[in-house]
Amino acid sequence: MKHLGSFISTCAIPGRGRAGESAGAQARGSLAAHDRARSLQVQGLRSRKSWRACAIPVLVVLYSASVARSSPAAASGGLDEVIAATQSRVIKLYGLGAGQQAGYGSGIIVSASGEVLTVESLLIDARSIRAIDAAGKRYEAAAVYRDPSRQLALLQLRRPGQPVDVPAPVTESEDVPATSGLQLPAYFDVPAHIDLIGGQWVLAAGNAFRIADGDEPVTVARGVFSTRTRLDARRRLKDYPYRGDVLVIDCITNNPGMPGGALVDLDGRLVGMIGREVQANQTNTHLNYALPADVLSAFLSEARAAVAAGRHAPAEDRERGDDRPPDLGLRIARTGYRTVLPFVERVIRGTPAARAGLRSDDLILSINGRQISSAEDFDAVVATLRAGDAVDLVIRRDRDIKSIRIEQKEVSE
Amino acid sequence: MRESVNDRLHEVSLQMRPHARAVLSRLVPHSLFPSLPHSPSRRRAVVVCAVIMAWSAPGASARPPHIASCTSCILMPFLGQAIESATPSEDEGSTPPTASVDERTILRAGQAVFHAVAEQTRRFLVRIDTVGGAQPPEQITQADESEDGDEDAPPRPRSQSPFRDAPGSSFTIADGPTTGIIYSADGYVVTSSFNFVRDPQLINVTLPDGRRLAADLVARDQVRKLALLKVDARGLDVPVWATRDQITVGQWAVALGLGFGGERPAVSVGIISAVGRMSGNAIQSDARISPVNYGGPLVDVEGRILGVCVPMAQRPGELAGVEMYDSGVGFAVPGWRVDEIIADLKQGVSFYRGWLGINVNVRRQDGVFIENIADPSPLRSAGGLPGDQIVEAAGQPVLHFGHLVQALYMLPAGRTVHLVLQRGDARIELDVPLARGVDLGPLPELEEPFDPSEPAPAPPHGG
Repeated sequence: MKHLGSFISTCAIPGRGRAGESAGAQARGSLAAHDRARSLQVQGLRSRKSWRACAIPVLVVLYSASVARSSPAAASGGLDEVIAATQSRVIKLYGLGAGQQAGYGSGIIVSASGEVLTVESLLIDARSIRAIDAAGKRYEAAAVYRDPSRQLALLQLRRPGQPVDVPAPVTESEDVPATSGLQLPAYFDVPAHIDLIGGQWVLAAGNAFRIADGDEPVTVARGVFSTRTRLDARRRLKDYPYRGDVLVIDCITNNPGMPGGALVDLDGRLVGMIGREVQANQTNTHLNYALPADVLSAFLSEARAAVAAGRHAPAEDRERGDDRPPDLGLRIARTGYRTVLPFVERVIRGTPAARAGLRSDDLILSINGRQISSAEDFDAVVATLRAGDAVDLVIRRDRDIKSIRIEQKEVSE
Repeated sequence: MRESVNDRLHEVSLQMRPHARAVLSRLVPHSLFPSLPHSPSRRRAVVVCAVIMAWSAPGASARPPHIASCTSCILMPFLGQAIESATPSEDEGSTPPTASVDERTILRAGQAVFHAVAEQTRRFLVRIDTVGGAQPPEQITQADESEDGDEDAPPRPRSQSPFRDAPGSSFTIADGPTTGIIYSADGYVVTSSFNFVRDPQLINVTLPDGRRLAADLVARDQVRKLALLKVDARGLDVPVWATRDQITVGQWAVALGLGFGGERPAVSVGIISAVGRMSGNAIQSDARISPVNYGGPLVDVEGRILGVCVPMAQRPGELAGVEMYDSGVGFAVPGWRVDEIIADLKQGVSFYRGWLGINVNVRRQDGVFIENIADPSPLRSAGGLPGDQIVEAAGQPVLHFGHLVQALYMLPAGRTVHLVLQRGDARIELDVPLARGVDLGPLPELEEPFDPSEPAPAPPHGG
């Protein structure tokens, strides 16, 4: 909407010397809500009067709104300023490396007190992590919270020389954070909500190949946001634990040192953090992606709460007890060791599957949206189901593709 | 006065050239002129628009109306801003232009167009899910392993002669969804043969409206890496394809694919890097082309389909070219190439790589000499003999092996090739129908063993 406002303003009032102002609004504006923006633009085109009528109030409202919430990274100048602001919020990390695992990486500064978000890696196993910011200032860092399931970590920067395993002195001032005594000039706001459109330009900033040395700013590359998808990937032949949303980008970030770097929009707003090297299972290709800022935001709140409570890792998952997977009443055809398609061999009378209308020779294509291509897949997915939950199947019966919902009746009926 | 505006605009236009050439010029006359009122400064803006138009794309006129109107309303505000920046704020002709165009203004205009194009093209894309099938058998070596001419390496076994089925790459075909483009209202879908390398037992297609239908693989073209699917549907929306003269090097190109599933395609943006690649069968783009969008479209900023994204390389093999995914070197088969073969494909006629069935000593520098000929093979039937030198193929002079590959590698089996052979003093002209790899017999035993002692030039692939 803001975007729209500034665009419209420049059209509706050309030649009145408002370029600077509207460009400023635009610079601070967000790239969001394009569909609505577009429809408004279309309306605007149809009638010049409605253009003007809506443009000015929209501009005023949005301009003030955007000024009010200008984030630390948002720059009103040119692209160079946006990039410089982004680089000043990314920190170069150096730690433990082995074999193919680079001993260097990137992190993003998320508070004035020196909190740094980065990805889980061997690097942060180091007893002492060294960190160098864009001004060449050196810090030591320690991992204060690590989440293997999201492959994220929160680091705390300290002045060099200060022992990292000794808690920092508590200060009484509210302004100066107690933990580090640091007061960093620049850090990212981590938004709890982002709204990206496919094709939108993004900038990725990170310590690629350890090219940036000392006070040299990190590498910045541009690409577009491709799509948001749920990560289903592996890393070095093992399943990658994080299965949440990622932002796929068409900028090549899958390089040593980039993970932990920042992904920002044209206004320098943080939209994500470059993820670790993985291969996507859907395509078997190396993925260029970032963890969305909303995921980072949730992690950050959780991490801060945990650290305050003295914990440094997520609570262990509770044992699932004897949660046995439900018996839907389906039997899948299996023959020997060859991978066979998950055809229904038999449907047992009176079971949820029979009530849902499944028949033998139906081919199961997916369960709850997850694609099934073998009897093993079927077992694996059914093992994750809970008794009592409805199960959505997509099946192919001859040439028809049908959606079928299996309602499991409560056991204690 | 007009001169300085012109200069400024020239500069702006240079910066915006990819937009300017393809979109800006076309939207100016039909959308901006009527909407501008008649104050002096506005009139100047009109002049300025005319300058942009005249400068950036003389003679450009054809546009699909539904798409152009949309792109124009998106670029419209941007253009307004560009004009404003380029126009002195008051009417004094002496005021030099001061405001400069922020790069971000240009980038924003671009991204709005990319997004609009992706949204519009979505209704022509189908998601393809396949069930069953095996991994292709040959995927052992990396493409470039044999290319660096490792002299310590043992000579390649005969079965890997460049004219036999060459090794693919180490790429493993994934299970995920792939992409197709609706080709006709009656349910033909054009896509890439890459998506069916596993020979799946079942193919399911999800139409843009969400309908899921069983699909049949009608035919495939392994030379151009295309495939044709048919679903039982009518009245489908059909996209506009770019014609040959609408594709220019340097223009924006947006690659779209449903390889991650979901409703919205994954978007990648680049430019057209080259046209007329692969013997004129492909256009090249630096957009990220990969299994995510193989079979999906490469689209211009007006929403026209520039081509079908495919993996392609000069060497044969169903997976050849996949190793270049996301590299900045990607290919798409343009619409006119699809049109050429669509009638055959609809008839169920598939295209395969054409082979002569010969083994050539690639180490000889003095020409291309046939070392051995498969039995049976088209060349043997046509009367070629081991020892013959190939001096011309398909009208192209052949001085070394690369020339032969270049002349033949994009020709399908069944195509007849005119060869000129030199046998002693005799010049022999033959018309040889190329054969499918599977129809070639084995290479007969040679009396003299192959001599691997000579250092090898880089053995070319393909052919």
